[in-house]
Amino acid sequence: MIAKTISLLLPALLPSWRFFKTVAASPRVELRVDAGDWQEARPIPERVGLARMARRLVWNPRRNEQLYMVSLSERLAEDGRDHARAELERLVRAGLTGGERFQFRLVFLQREGTQIVKFIDYESPVLPVAEHVS
Amino acid sequence: MSLPEVVQVMSVMLGLAVAQQSAEHLAGARDRLLFLPRLILALVLVSGWQQAWVTWALFAYGVVLLHRFDGPYNGGSDKMTLLITACLSAYHLAPDTRWQEMAMAYLAVQLVLSYFVSGYIKIIKAEWRSGEALCDVFRFSAYPVSERLRGWAERPGVLWLMSWAVMGFEVLFPLSLLHPAALIGALVVAGTFHLANACLFGLNRFFWIWLCAYPSLIWFQDRVLG
Repeated sequence: MIAKTISLLLPALLPSWRFFKTVAASPRVELRVDAGDWQEARPIPERVGLARMARRLVWNPRRNEQLYMVSLSERLAEDGRDHARAELERLVRAGLTGGERFQFRLVFLQREGTQIVKFIDYESPVLPVAEHVS
Repeated sequence: MSLPEVVQVMSVMLGLAVAQQSAEHLAGARDRLLFLPRLILALVLVSGWQQAWVTWALFAYGVVLLHRFDGPYNGGSDKMTLLITACLSAYHLAPDTRWQEMAMAYLAVQLVLSYFVSGYIKIIKAEWRSGEALCDVFRFSAYPVSERLRGWAERPGVLWLMSWAVMGFEVLFPLSLLHPAALIGALVVAGTFHLANACLFGLNRFFWIWLCAYPSLIWFQDRVLG
């Protein structure tokens, strides 16, 4: 517990500040319900106007949840953390409005030469939409 | 500003920033019970009542949240929140003025590094110098807030200029410590940069929390070079 606390705390007290050192492979979380087509779990809108940008300065919970899902995807891809998998499952499930079973997967986009290529890093098992139904 | 005045101002700003962060979590049912007490603590910090105890409580809360989310929920902004809270906590724990100054100086130095290191690690990379990296940020990274913004990737000239403006500003930021007016100017530019990031990439929490650390640097410049 103490070792874990130290490992979590140190990056905040001795930050590296290496923002955007490289533009790494970028994750998207995709889902499908009842074996349907894959779609992005939290798609970004087509456009965000100035008024909405201003409002988001003080109230931006959905966008911050999206960014949290990006962090979780990177953690899951990096070291397969159970916490990241469980949190992604919870957040994807929370966004569902119907169906009985669903799956989610992590798709990464990255540059290869002049092309942007897409690869699947993780695919979940088929899961129940209702949390307590097996 | 004296050091106690700087701490007073920073505590109010930190309280407001933490209240904003916490309020956003009240939108989701699951973490409501976790963040409501943090929101209340933040508002108490703004009021100034029992400032030291409330700051320590917010630091402890930050550690609990690191465990809850297995790391920061919001990346760099959570790290800066914890760093500011830690330095203010250390200030209140310090046995004398010298150690209080050390706590605030540490935050000021970290703030300078947050710009300088971020600029340096970009400027040594060919893809950042060519503007290609920023094109990729808009083209396929998860950060643009809308699909329409991805169209900026087709304006390499503009993004090359933006890349150099950001990198140049970040690596030269430490020089602003040489004069109080230069520092104020640099902080205005830095704040505008965070505002742009909030609008384009949705990084609203970075904007508020980086502003919270600015008084420490204004004090530090005056203390060391004033």
